[in-house]
Amino acid sequence: MLALTVLYDPECGLCRRAHEWLAEQSKIVELNFVPCASDEARKRYPQLDHDLTKKDLTVVGDDGGVYFGPKAWLMVLWALARYRDWAYRLATPELLPTTKRVVSLISQNRYQISRAAGLYR
Amino acid sequence: MTIGISTYLIYLALSIALTVWVARTLHKNGRVFLVDVFHGNEALADSVNHLLVVGFYLINFGYVSLALKLGYAVDTAEQSIEALSVKIGMVLLVLGGMHFFNLFVFSRMRRRSTQHNHPPVSPDTFTATAVQQEA
Repeated sequence: MLALTVLYDPECGLCRRAHEWLAEQSKIVELNFVPCASDEARKRYPQLDHDLTKKDLTVVGDDGGVYFGPKAWLMVLWALARYRDWAYRLATPELLPTTKRVVSLISQNRYQISRAAGLYR
Repeated sequence: MTIGISTYLIYLALSIALTVWVARTLHKNGRVFLVDVFHGNEALADSVNHLLVVGFYLINFGYVSLALKLGYAVDTAEQSIEALSVKIGMVLLVLGGMHFFNLFVFSRMRRRSTQHNHPPVSPDTFTATAVQQEA
């Protein structure tokens, strides 16, 4: 795997902030950011359910593998040189359920968190 | 030359010879490991290999030097051989410990470099990418 396409929610302040942070990190795997359900996303993945990608972060590998929600977060983490070890740690059978719960919680409340943190929406 | 002096000289000669032998073995056989760890980057592997051997020499010669003093008089050949067996035995154990520690470092580096290439989770589904569609 050499590149990941990250379908992010452009309307969420937290996601934009995360995008900025990710842009600064050194990566092992290339990350391409495409707003979810955009024309670009539809052109790239004509067969993907784009309504689903609006609900939660989606990552598509260059092999066509689709990762939704918590798995997408882990894949992004895995792409970063400094955090690859953490991706493996959080994906172990002992920690994966907790990881999924925490990530889902943040993801479902992303607009509220963005507002509370003073980021637009 | 007294028996005491010759005991020290034999101790030094044997210890240095053993250290050099282990270091050369490590240097020769560790290279293949390191080349694999660094994905075929031979220049980097040789450099790390060399640095490891330098550290190995420093620690072992340091120990050999510190452990030189007997602390008691050696008057007969029998006492000399006994003193040598203790000293050389300790050097061998330290060398063995260092050698296994090096092997542990090599295998750990190797494991880290191999296991870290697969994604942490399996994909939920697969989709056709635009590139694949055109092809």
